[in-house]
Amino acid sequence: MKRLQADVVVIGGGSTGAGVVRDAAMRGFKAILVDRADLGQGTTGRFHGLLHSGGRYVVSDPGSATECAEENAIITRIQPDAVEKIGGLFVATPGDDPDYADRFLAGAQATRVPAQEISVQEALRREPRLNPGIFRAIEVQDASVDGWQLVWGAARSAIEHGGQVLTYHRVTGIEHDGDQVRAVFCRDEKGGEDVQIDCQFVLNCAGPWAGQITRMAGLPEVPVIPGRGIMIAMNHRLVNTVINRLIYPADGDILVPVHTVSVIGTTDVKETDPDELPIPREEVQQMLDAGEQLIPGFRRARAVHAWSGARPLIKDDRVAASDTRHMSRGMAVIDHLQTDGVKGLLTIGGGKLTTYRLMAEHIVDTMCEQMGQMRPCTTAEEEIPPEGTKNYVITHRLEDREEDRLEDQIICECELMSRGMFTRALAEQPDGTLDDLRRQLRLGMGPCQGGFCAMRAAGIAHQSGAVDIERATGLLRLFLKNRWIGLWPILYGDQVRQTALDDWIFQGTLDVEHLPHATEEVVR
Amino acid sequence: MRDAIVIGSGLAGLTTALRLARGGMSVSLLSKGPGGLQLSQGTIDILGYAPDRVTRPLDALGDFAAGHPGHPYGLLGADTVRDAAGFLAELLPDLLVGDPEVNLQLPTAVGAVRPTALAQESMAAGDLKDGASYVIVGLRRLKDFQADLIAGNLDRAEVPAGGAVSARAVTIDVPVRDERDTTGLTYARALDDPSVRATFAKAVAKEVRAGEIVGLPGILGLDDHEAWRDVQQIVDHPVFEIPLPPPGVPGLRLYRTLSAIARDEGVRFITGSKVIDKRVEGDRVVSVSIDSAGRAREYAARHFVFAPGGFESGALAVDSYGAISETTFGLPLTESSAEKLIHGDYWGSEQQLFEVGVRVDESMRVLDADSAPVHSNFYAAGGLLAGAMRWSEKSGDGIAAASAVRAADTILREGN
Repeated sequence: MKRLQADVVVIGGGSTGAGVVRDAAMRGFKAILVDRADLGQGTTGRFHGLLHSGGRYVVSDPGSATECAEENAIITRIQPDAVEKIGGLFVATPGDDPDYADRFLAGAQATRVPAQEISVQEALRREPRLNPGIFRAIEVQDASVDGWQLVWGAARSAIEHGGQVLTYHRVTGIEHDGDQVRAVFCRDEKGGEDVQIDCQFVLNCAGPWAGQITRMAGLPEVPVIPGRGIMIAMNHRLVNTVINRLIYPADGDILVPVHTVSVIGTTDVKETDPDELPIPREEVQQMLDAGEQLIPGFRRARAVHAWSGARPLIKDDRVAASDTRHMSRGMAVIDHLQTDGVKGLLTIGGGKLTTYRLMAEHIVDTMCEQMGQMRPCTTAEEEIPPEGTKNYVITHRLEDREEDRLEDQIICECELMSRGMFTRALAEQPDGTLDDLRRQLRLGMGPCQGGFCAMRAAGIAHQSGAVDIERATGLLRLFLKNRWIGLWPILYGDQVRQTALDDWIFQGTLDVEHLPHATEEVVR
Repeated sequence: MRDAIVIGSGLAGLTTALRLARGGMSVSLLSKGPGGLQLSQGTIDILGYAPDRVTRPLDALGDFAAGHPGHPYGLLGADTVRDAAGFLAELLPDLLVGDPEVNLQLPTAVGAVRPTALAQESMAAGDLKDGASYVIVGLRRLKDFQADLIAGNLDRAEVPAGGAVSARAVTIDVPVRDERDTTGLTYARALDDPSVRATFAKAVAKEVRAGEIVGLPGILGLDDHEAWRDVQQIVDHPVFEIPLPPPGVPGLRLYRTLSAIARDEGVRFITGSKVIDKRVEGDRVVSVSIDSAGRAREYAARHFVFAPGGFESGALAVDSYGAISETTFGLPLTESSAEKLIHGDYWGSEQQLFEVGVRVDESMRVLDADSAPVHSNFYAAGGLLAGAMRWSEKSGDGIAAASAVRAADTILREGN
C-alpha cells in the first residue's frame, strides 16, 4: 500500500472540494484532494451554467441572494476565463404574478443585489425572441460560467500552492481512533493500488455523496438529500443574456446562454441515489413548455443534449422533506465533533456553484478554529489564470482558430477544438477518458454529438501512444454510450436526423459495433 | 405529361429513373438535394448481419425475412435483389465488382471488418484473407482516416472465414493545398490529376514493404475511375480504398456516374426544390408540385415513385411531442409515436424508431392503415420503407435497388 502524509484530506472534486483544497493550500496546509472520478464530473458539471446575480433568491432566500451577489463579483474577477459577463433579465410573462416585480425590486435593494427595471420595449429590443407579452423586465448582473474551467482553475491554483489533486481515487475508508481522524484510505482506480493518506483533518465535500462518506467513517449518514434537476441544451444561443422568469423560484424558469448553446433548467425532485438520476420524459415536456413561455417557438428549436444533476441539499426541518425546491440553498458546515464526537471531520452541504469559494472559506475557517491556528483566507484576492486574462467571450475559440488555422487541424468542428488542444489535454491527462477530455475541451458537445469527432479523437489518442488499441477502441465505445445517455431523452426534431446520420456513419459505414472488443468494457 | 416522376436522387431514386428510362419511359426526377449516396460508403450492401455475419447474402435473405415480419425483403425476395444487383453492376461496369451471392469482407475506417456484396473495384483488394499483411497509409492532413486505429484493430481482427492478418500503420504528408486540414473530397479532386497522383503514389510506395497490401483512404479520384489503378501501378503492390465518413468520395462516384447515365438516357433532373404537395383525382395522383422560386410548379405524370429516404434525409421526422410523420405528403406510417421506440442503452437492442416507415404491397404501392393502396399509381422505394434496420443489417442498398426495380418493373408492365 502506498502511503502519503497530509494535514488535510479533501474528499470530492467538485467546485466545493476544488475551492477547499485551494483555500487550504493557500493557507499553508498540506492538502490532498481525492475524487472517485474526474474533477467536475458530479454535480458541478451538471448544472445550467449560471453564475447567479442573486436575483433568483432576493425574495425566497435573502441570505443566499447577498452571498451570490458578492461572490459573483469575486469569481468574475478572479477566474475571468471561466466567466462570460452576459448579464441577465428577469421578465414577467403573461399570467405571472403581477405584484412579484415590486417585491423583487424591494428584495434586491434589501439584499444589495444590483437590479434595475427596464422598459418592456428595451427588453424586447435586447432579446427579440422573448415572449412579446412580457409586462415587466428587470436587469441583473447574471453571468454564465463554465463549471469545469472553474474547477480545474481552482485545482491548478491549489497545485501551485503545494496542494495535491488525486482524481480516480475512490475513498474506501476513514480511520479514526475513537475521537480523532487518523487517515483516509483510497483505491487508485487507474493505478490499481491502495493508498493510505495519514492526516489530522478530513473535509467531506462529496456533495450528494456526503452521506456515503460519513458512513465510511463508521458514522451516521449526514442528512444530505439529492435534489435532482434536469437541464436541456438547445443548439445555438436563443438569447443573448440569461433569461429568468420574474416569479417565486419554480421549475423551468431559467434560460442560460453558455458557450455555443443555451440551457433551460430546471426541475427539482427528491432522489435517494445520486448515481441514479433519470431524465424523465414528462420533465422534458415540462421544460419545453416552460421554454415556450419565455421564447415562443422554443419547441421548434433544436435540442442537442439533456442531463440530470443532484443538488446536495441539507435537510431542513422547516420544509417538508420532499420539497427540495424550498430547502435552503444556503450552505451548512456539520462538525462531527459535535454530532458524533469525532474530531477532525467536517462535512459541508447545501450552497451552490456561485458561492463555492465562500463555502471553502467557511469550512477551512472552521477547521482552523478547531486546530487553533487562525490563518487568513486569501482566495478572494489572488487571480487564478495568468494576470491580464480577460473574461471569456464566445468568440474566443473562433479567434484562436483564425490564428492557427494554417498550423493546426480542427478535430471537433462544432466546438472549434483543434488537434493541438486535444493532444495537450491528453498529455496532461493520459489516462483520461474521452469524456474527461470533453469536459475540458467541449469535444463532441455540439450538434453532431461526436458523430464526426469521436473516431478522430480515439485515433489521435492511439496514435499519440497514450493508449493502446484495446483502450482506444474501448474509449470510443464508452464515449458513444455516454453521449447517448443525454441524447435519447430529447430525441426529436433535427436531432433525430442527426442521430440517423450518426448511426449511418458508426454502424453503416464504420461497422463500429463489430470491432473486436474486450469482454470487459472500458469504464474509466 | 411524363410517363413517370421519381422523387429523390439517392440510390433508390436513381435506380428507378434509370430502370424506367431503359424501359422506354419518359422520366423526370425531382430532388431537393444531391441525394443520400454521398452519405454512404459507396458499396452495394445486400445483407451483412442477420444478426450474425452473413457470407452468402442471397441465400440468407429468405430466412432473414421470415424472421423479420414487415421487412422489405419479405416482399422483394432474393430474385429481385439479385436482379437489382445485376442491373447496377451492368450500369456501372468500371466501378462495381463482386458477386451478389458472396459477401466481401472489407476493412472500415476504424478497422472493423464489414460485409458487403458489391464493392468498387478500388476497394476489392481489401477483402480479408488469412495470412495477408497490410500497411495502412494515412495522410497527416486528412483527419478522417486514423491509420493507427485502423491498423491496430485490423491486426487483432479475426478473418471471417477463419485466420488472422497482420497490419501496421504509417502516416505520410502529401499536401495538395496550402492548409493543415484537407478534406477527403479535396484530395479526391486533386488526385483526378495524373501528376498529383503520381507524386502521391511515389510517397506511398516508399513506405511499403515486400508482400504488403496497401490500405489507403477512399479518396483515389472523384471522376477518374481509373485513378486508383494508376496509384496501384506506381506503388506496385495491391492497393485498396477504405471509405471515410461523409461526404464520402466512393458514394459520390456512384451518384455522379448514375446521374450522368440517367441524363444520357433522357431523364430530366429538376433539382433544388422540395416537393410540397400532390394533386389527386379519383384513385390516382395526377401531379406533384414543388416549392420553386416565386410560385409552386406542378409536374404531371402517369406514375409516381417516392424515394425520399428516411429520418437521415428529413423525409421522416419526430416532433417535440414525439409524433412521427412523413414530412412531404403526410403518408400513413407503421408507428405514430416515438415514445416507446427508443431506449437509453446505446449498445443494447435496436432503436426501433429507425425501423419506422411506410408500408407497401408487393408492387411497392404505398398502403394505408387498412392495407389498401393509398393511390393506384403511387409507389415508394428505398429508405422510406418500413421494417429494416438498414445500417446495422447492412441492407440499405439492396433494399433501395430492389424496391426501385420492383416499382419500376410494375410501372413498365402496367404501361401507360
